[in-house]
Amino acid sequence: MHVKGLMFDPYNNAYIVILRDEEHSDMLPIWVGKSEAGAISMSLENVTPPRPMTHDFMKSFLDAFNAKVISVVITDLSEHTYFSKIHLMYEDSEYTVDARPSDAIALALRSNAPVFANNSVMTKQSSEELEQWLENLKPEDFGKLDS
Amino acid sequence: MSTPDQTNEQGMVEYRVDRILEEANTDTRIVVLARQDGVPDTFPIWVGAAEGNAIKLALDTMITPRPMSHDLIKSFAEHLNITIQRVVITDVKSSTYFATVHVANKGLERTIDSRPSDAISLALRAPCPIYITQDVLKQRSTTNLDAWLAKLESKDIGAPEVQET
Repeated sequence: MHVKGLMFDPYNNAYIVILRDEEHSDMLPIWVGKSEAGAISMSLENVTPPRPMTHDFMKSFLDAFNAKVISVVITDLSEHTYFSKIHLMYEDSEYTVDARPSDAIALALRSNAPVFANNSVMTKQSSEELEQWLENLKPEDFGKLDS
Repeated sequence: MSTPDQTNEQGMVEYRVDRILEEANTDTRIVVLARQDGVPDTFPIWVGAAEGNAIKLALDTMITPRPMSHDLIKSFAEHLNITIQRVVITDVKSSTYFATVHVANKGLERTIDSRPSDAISLALRAPCPIYITQDVLKQRSTTNLDAWLAKLESKDIGAPEVQET
């Protein structure tokens, strides 16, 4: 999945990370909080903050011992909550760590690691729903994302 | 960024997180550190709302349904067998505090540059001690600080500020 962008959802006062599968043109929207959206937005826009933000620190933490983020997988959707796993490689062993998608995506973007979504998640959240939702949006619904 | 560990506990004072204050009208929180050895002294650090909330969750030992960012860092440490040894507030420049997180794995020590908010948030979860260097302690201005904090706390925090007459 490609991290296509971020938008503001005025109805839920939250932000939506849009993941897109270029091959099948599927879209997966993931709702995240404001500070989580900020962490993703900084990476998307290649902003280098004067001091390391939490996910920059997270990356440094892994770099300190040469642990590598191999991939991030959005694994499940249960009662409106997305679940994800971060796959790490450290000293020839692979580790799988449970994470919120917002943390996983923010870290993946900083590590140049691919983001995947399980088929089951894609089936649960059909992209038609999102498209319908997008069509119903009015121009004034698009808020400026402050990061 | 990380470098081999070069500092030691000499010339540092251990602090603990005493409380988190909300500053009225701004999107900031004040993390109030107090000396671990009981000597009366408080050290405030201004942090953003999200950073303050992350510290407050750990301070109140709140269990969130999903791991928060610093829980994830702790989880990385547990999976990879990395010990979070201590965090140190090392420097202050133009009112910005700098911190380092000291980690170790199989005898290999590393020091990671960090904002104090991330360092403190992680220290509470590790758990590990929080130190402030003498250098930083010397540079702060302590004038009327305690009185100022007391005044801030006496206000109804979170409520609209009422003009005193």
